[in-house]
Amino acid sequence: MSKKVLLLAVAILFGSQAGLAMAANPDTGPGCGLGKLAWGDYKGQKEIAPQVMMATTNGTFGSQTFGISSGTSGCTNDGKIMGEHKTTMFASLNFDALTAEMAQGQGEHLASLATLMGVPAERHGEFFAMTQERYTSLVQAGEASPVALVKSLNDAIAGHPVLAQASVR
Amino acid sequence: MLLPLIAFIACLVAPVPSDAQQSDHDFYLKQLIEEAQGKRLAEQREWQLLLHYRKNLFGGYESEQDDPGFFLSPKGKTSPSAELAATLAQFFSADLVGRSKQPAQCAFIARYHWLKEQLQFDPTRLPPIACERFNQWYEDFEVQSISLIFPAAFLNNPASMFGHTLFRVDQKGQTEQTRILAYTINYAAEVPPNAGLAYPIRGIFGSYKGYFSTIPYYLKVQQYRDIENRDIWEYRLNLTGNQLRRFLMHAWELGNAYFDYFFFKENCSYHILALLDYADPELHLTDEFIGWTVPADTIRLVVSKPGLVSEITYRPSRSTVIKRKREALPEAERDLAHRMTQDVGVLTSPAFAQMRPAKQAFLLDLASDYLRYRTETTDSPKLEWKERNRAVLTTRSQLRIPSEEFPVRPFAKQPELGHRIHRVAIGGGWRNNDTFEEATFRGGYHDLLDPEVGYTPDAQIEMASVTVRHYNRADQTRVERATLLNLLSLSPIDSVFHAPSWKLNVGMNTIRHKDCQLCSNGLFSGGIGGAKELRLLNREVLFAFAETEASVSKAYDEMHRIGGGGTVGILADMTERWKIMATGSYLKFPLGDKSDDFRWYVGSRFTLAQNWAVRLEYNHRDRDNDVLFSVQAYF
Repeated sequence: MSKKVLLLAVAILFGSQAGLAMAANPDTGPGCGLGKLAWGDYKGQKEIAPQVMMATTNGTFGSQTFGISSGTSGCTNDGKIMGEHKTTMFASLNFDALTAEMAQGQGEHLASLATLMGVPAERHGEFFAMTQERYTSLVQAGEASPVALVKSLNDAIAGHPVLAQASVR
Repeated sequence: MLLPLIAFIACLVAPVPSDAQQSDHDFYLKQLIEEAQGKRLAEQREWQLLLHYRKNLFGGYESEQDDPGFFLSPKGKTSPSAELAATLAQFFSADLVGRSKQPAQCAFIARYHWLKEQLQFDPTRLPPIACERFNQWYEDFEVQSISLIFPAAFLNNPASMFGHTLFRVDQKGQTEQTRILAYTINYAAEVPPNAGLAYPIRGIFGSYKGYFSTIPYYLKVQQYRDIENRDIWEYRLNLTGNQLRRFLMHAWELGNAYFDYFFFKENCSYHILALLDYADPELHLTDEFIGWTVPADTIRLVVSKPGLVSEITYRPSRSTVIKRKREALPEAERDLAHRMTQDVGVLTSPAFAQMRPAKQAFLLDLASDYLRYRTETTDSPKLEWKERNRAVLTTRSQLRIPSEEFPVRPFAKQPELGHRIHRVAIGGGWRNNDTFEEATFRGGYHDLLDPEVGYTPDAQIEMASVTVRHYNRADQTRVERATLLNLLSLSPIDSVFHAPSWKLNVGMNTIRHKDCQLCSNGLFSGGIGGAKELRLLNREVLFAFAETEASVSKAYDEMHRIGGGGTVGILADMTERWKIMATGSYLKFPLGDKSDDFRWYVGSRFTLAQNWAVRLEYNHRDRDNDVLFSVQAYF
């Protein structure tokens, strides 16, 4: 899953840039230009030598999309993720960590997702238990798209006696 | 005569105002400029900080900022007063300026607010412009405080000891669990994806442009903790509400800026310190860096300011978590967790099924951590790792209990507790039949025998080091040793981690060879090998390298020799303050001067204080014996 995350992270960056070939994979992101880019272009990034080089400039992905006062591009506005994309973008970029934490019944990514979805902190325990219980179906939804994952979670919250009451939306 | 003419020309550019309004603008602007001159605002620290001016050698000014759009006067890069006058003039206009394309009042909002405060702008004569984009951006932070974030060096990559620093804008109501949702303020070079070998060279000489961005913290955590396996230290800063606002206003302005990125000085750490300097001009942080800026030093400096840091938080990398969890397990369980990553059949074995659920959960979580570690640190991860991770997580989800908190202790203490990066040493000793005294300066950074507190264990990066030695009997003073770059990384191998150890050295030393008693010798060597950690006495690392070496010296036939061989050694912590290292090498040189070398080295270091140590070292090379006692100070 990590590669997908990286693909997406790279895609956010370069998705808005002209001149970079996009891979043929369909866009399964939040639908604001979050396509996929072949990680192959960055082959060797995980090896030692390129890492040594990277360390000299701290060159990093995302500095364009998230550029301060850089105007509107794809999912961001002056470098901030647009409100309507916050949850799906988070779910999509952290899917790997989220699936692990759903199975483990706790974790900071899961708590952060719950917060983004309007679940108050004192109900996170129920939210964690619910995602652990529905782990298999949630992962299946998430593999289809982050939008489907967020929708499944919303449906599950709506059908949950405690969470439906407590959640902001 | 002149005034109406200027008014007329101005009218051509600015469409709305009538002649009467225009002449009032001009009059008020002139008044403001005079007042600013009277108060010498252009010379004040705030203005200098906002425009990033530095005094140059000739007493003039130059801004470190390199984007022409950051200045409103064509002379702005070198003239603080011309820039101030042009800025005041532009505040009267709604024209879009800068790379961010906003009215000057919004594009340079920190300058506007500072000048407004100093000159008490009359809102009827200089009407404020609403800055919707800034307001939205600012409110979206829901700022509560600022944290300074320091990702430590990654294991097995000493070059990353230079690290990186960034800020996190902590949100109101943020908890330990949700702080990954906060935005960062990050300064980084924009590097083309196929930069290859040009990367470090261009990085050093400033041919990349560095920009400011607000990358979500969860992406930075993913990069540092999960992919690069670097521990992260977070320093919560004590800033007042007003300081937070000044900090973010200036950050917004820097969206119009870029700086040529110089790896050594004007790097990430340097430019983000400028934000703190403007938030609280009393701090004087960037003034402390003249030669180069090392991220760990910026942390040391920030922590040294009384009351500035309120809280320090440690965020372990995934590899640290895995190591600590493995340490916490008895061997049988450690093996079971590891077998789980190789064969999912273990999940249904009786040995596993008999365990209590909390223990099962712990082993499953460890197995999943490891499978994700493998997947994310390998370029072409195997599909079965993902499938096994899925099986492990599915089993885990059926346990229906949350994982217990597992507190993780760092392997290296926080960076500000470590020794400073420059080192001087004075020493004396014997070489063969002579005695000597010597002095050493080292530009940076850390070698295997330096006090290890605050540094990545078993990693060395030495740069720009030179030793001058005087031989008493030979009555000769010479450059004894010099190092351009000496890197060494030991990564202990176990059943989970199997990265190679490696080393690289470029420099010179003084040899005794054939008829030449003291001959300069240029040296290039590199090696690859493995290391193993033991815990016999305290902590010991055994290592072995296969290596090649090329040397140039007039002592050799044909002026050179090239060959290879091997080294074995041990690095051992005897006590908290006492460390020893011993190595033995054999090298054979079939090319150039045909010869071979046996070498022995034994070194022992005792730490006196954070920035003081003493060493006793013995070097043997064929018939050449050298004993050195030295006192070392870090500064």
